[in-house]
Amino acid sequence: MCNWIQDVENEAQLSTHLQTKYSLPVSPTWLNSFLASTQQHRTVPLSALTQTAHFRLLASDFRDSLTTETASSLLPTDIFDPTVQERRLQGPIPVQVLDIDDIGTSLWSQVEAIERVERGEAVRGREIVRTVNVDDAEGVTRGSTTTTNAGAHESGGSNGPHRLILQDARGTRAVGFELKSVGGFALGSMAIGAKLVLRNVTVARGMVLLTPECVTLLGGKIEALDVAWREGRKQRLLDRVGEMERAQE
Amino acid sequence: MSPTKILCVAEKPAIAKAVAQHLSGGSVRTIPIRGNQYVKNYVFDFNFGGPWGNCAVTMTSVLGHLTKLEFEKQYRGWQSCLPESLFEAPVFELVEDDKKAIAKNIQEQAKYCQALFIWTDCDREGEHIGTEIRKHAKKGNARIVVKRAKFSNTERAHILNAARALIELDDLQANAVAARTELDLRIGAAFTRLLSIQLQPLTEALANKVISYGSCQFPTLGFVVDRYLRVKNFKPEKFWGIKVMHTRDDIKVNFLWKRVHLFDRAVVTVMLERCLMAKNAKVAKVNQKPTSKWRPLPLTTVDLQMMGSRYLRMDSQAIMKAAESLYTKGFTSYPRTETDQFDKGIDLKKLIEKQFPDNNWGQYARGLLDGGFRTPRAGRHNDHAHPPIHPICWVAPTALNADEKKVYEFITRRFLACCSEDAKGQSSEVEIEYGDEVFHAKGLIVLERNYLDVYVYDKWESSQQLPNFRVGELFEPTEAKIFDGQTTPPNYLTEPELIGLMDANGIGTDATMAEHIAKIKDREYVVVHTRGSGRNAAKVFIPTWLGIALVEGYDNIVSGLPDSPSLSKPFLRKEMESRMRDICAGTMTRHDVVHESLDKYHEVFIHTVRRISMLKDAIRKYSSQIGAS
Repeated sequence: MCNWIQDVENEAQLSTHLQTKYSLPVSPTWLNSFLASTQQHRTVPLSALTQTAHFRLLASDFRDSLTTETASSLLPTDIFDPTVQERRLQGPIPVQVLDIDDIGTSLWSQVEAIERVERGEAVRGREIVRTVNVDDAEGVTRGSTTTTNAGAHESGGSNGPHRLILQDARGTRAVGFELKSVGGFALGSMAIGAKLVLRNVTVARGMVLLTPECVTLLGGKIEALDVAWREGRKQRLLDRVGEMERAQE
Repeated sequence: MSPTKILCVAEKPAIAKAVAQHLSGGSVRTIPIRGNQYVKNYVFDFNFGGPWGNCAVTMTSVLGHLTKLEFEKQYRGWQSCLPESLFEAPVFELVEDDKKAIAKNIQEQAKYCQALFIWTDCDREGEHIGTEIRKHAKKGNARIVVKRAKFSNTERAHILNAARALIELDDLQANAVAARTELDLRIGAAFTRLLSIQLQPLTEALANKVISYGSCQFPTLGFVVDRYLRVKNFKPEKFWGIKVMHTRDDIKVNFLWKRVHLFDRAVVTVMLERCLMAKNAKVAKVNQKPTSKWRPLPLTTVDLQMMGSRYLRMDSQAIMKAAESLYTKGFTSYPRTETDQFDKGIDLKKLIEKQFPDNNWGQYARGLLDGGFRTPRAGRHNDHAHPPIHPICWVAPTALNADEKKVYEFITRRFLACCSEDAKGQSSEVEIEYGDEVFHAKGLIVLERNYLDVYVYDKWESSQQLPNFRVGELFEPTEAKIFDGQTTPPNYLTEPELIGLMDANGIGTDATMAEHIAKIKDREYVVVHTRGSGRNAAKVFIPTWLGIALVEGYDNIVSGLPDSPSLSKPFLRKEMESRMRDICAGTMTRHDVVHESLDKYHEVFIHTVRRISMLKDAIRKYSSQIGAS
């Protein structure tokens, strides 16, 4: 009896905590199963429990873990509408990253960079460096975006700006791009399923304008999506190059 | 008491002659040696000072290396043994038939001399040749004292100084050469025989053709093939950008987008719309500052080859040949050097003065000594053996052939440029914020050309002037619009680029790079095409079908094998080069280095034998394509 009350109280407190601290409105179903899975740790203090819940949320799919009850924490369903010149979303809206792309670099030079990595090489200036079984692979240089043909991006990062596909708790998707460079947005280091919170963000012609002021990067990933995305990346790039070629014929 | 007798031996006859002229002051007897028409003995007196005093000198030379490393007889025939056994087959040094008379001359002369002074070039090869000379002199006179002269050009005062400040031979450097020689012989022979025997029967085109392998040749070929494939595989893509133009004071100022261009049209469209919505651009920065274009660094061999093939329209081998001949004749300093800083002791002004008689740059040289002189910039490299390449004395253009003239002019102009003031100018930059985007415009006025007047190879010119802009000022740009363009493939590899890649990746030394490039041409692994025409013409390397097939075959052989880099890549060779440096530094022995490197290459050899079908497939694939087309 006593336990039951405590559970309810815990659940409410935890939910509020996750909302105030991380702007994440968790769904009651998810919270229940989370608490059930931590039953043996009943004596764990609330702050630690919040921590654990937070980590689990970062690895979860927001469509399962967040509530769709609050309209303000969801993207409008017509967000893609290109006839709307500009609108502002107050948020906070938690979203997860489904795709990330570097639009400052040509697809082909990204393919070349991937192939270099596959061969175990990196480029340091004019020098070709072997990265396999070599631990000093740091200091790998990145080609500048000013060269159109020889962009030498390595596995470690990308110059951007990046274009992302974001998804909210209801499953609504939106395209966004870095209007100003946002720390942590990079190919390689940002995982698919990484979580962000949007606040006071501008949407122009159906695209979310991402700036450091309106994005809070929480991190995390959705393991299965991330693995599939990485494995398929080269093929997707090649497919797009092929499409472009056909379009020009 | 009869004077001490000294034997001096140089690396080449021309150096022996030049040194003999300087030491003797002109009174020298020339005696031909029996059995070789190039090598002469020069007999004269000279006071070496110190413990030596006045000596009777015989100066002679070798013709490069005296000895050669060879497999024992039973391993020499191509079918005599499995190529693999060459990794371990016994080897020995021998004097080649055409060098026997030279070796004999040294042995004979040594009998009458108390000391041997070695005058080979001061680099690794020279040190090794020195030990070969020593070996033969000791055969004639086991008690002969051995010293070495340290010099880097054949100018008179420099040679006289070197003769009076003798040092010891550096056996470590000689050992490094010995190690490299053995590795090159074993690895080269084993792979060359394997390739030739296995691949010759596959197609008519390869019958009786030697398909050579060299640990430098292959990575050099690899660079050419790599670039070729990048060009061939390239896919063009469209990009879009924003162009802003503003007219002020009748000047059309073009502002360039900080993002240059992006590969997403929709995104660029949204960005442009936001610029137009903002209506006004704001001037964020106005910078007017003095700027300069730095004079070049003192000249190294790699730079000579790169700049030379870019500006002189000569290939690196021709450049080195001309530079070598200029050095031998005493007009320029030693052409193989990694040093890009002048020693404090060198009298640069005196060297500049020597250029006064020249019709083209004599006046400029005069100007330098009338107050224009500046101490050259110092680079970060010093091989502690040779100074940067510079002119030793002036030579009338009529005394040189066409190639020598071009190379001498380049070396001299470069040297004078090094001793000049940087070019000075005033740059102005305006940066504007427009919508969420940043754009900038730049202008340059060249105020003083300085070194540019003599170094005609560099270009720096004034651009359009910018009208006045004030920081914080708002204005509505006259025009803002989207432009589009397309990515273009890289160009085929040029010789300067190839040398740059070899240098950065440790393939060959400044002394041997040109040879490796010539070798892959000789072997018909690559051909040279001319791209463009007129002043913009450039020579580019394109691999032949055989070159592509070999690289692809080797890459396939190691693909999927952990930690087995392809022979078309520079990694194994680079490692070998760094082991050579370890021997020179005394941190590894010749023996250990040879064994370690042989083990590495042997492993690749075993993979190659095991998966030779992949190499054969690649040859069949490309040779049939040739047949079909």
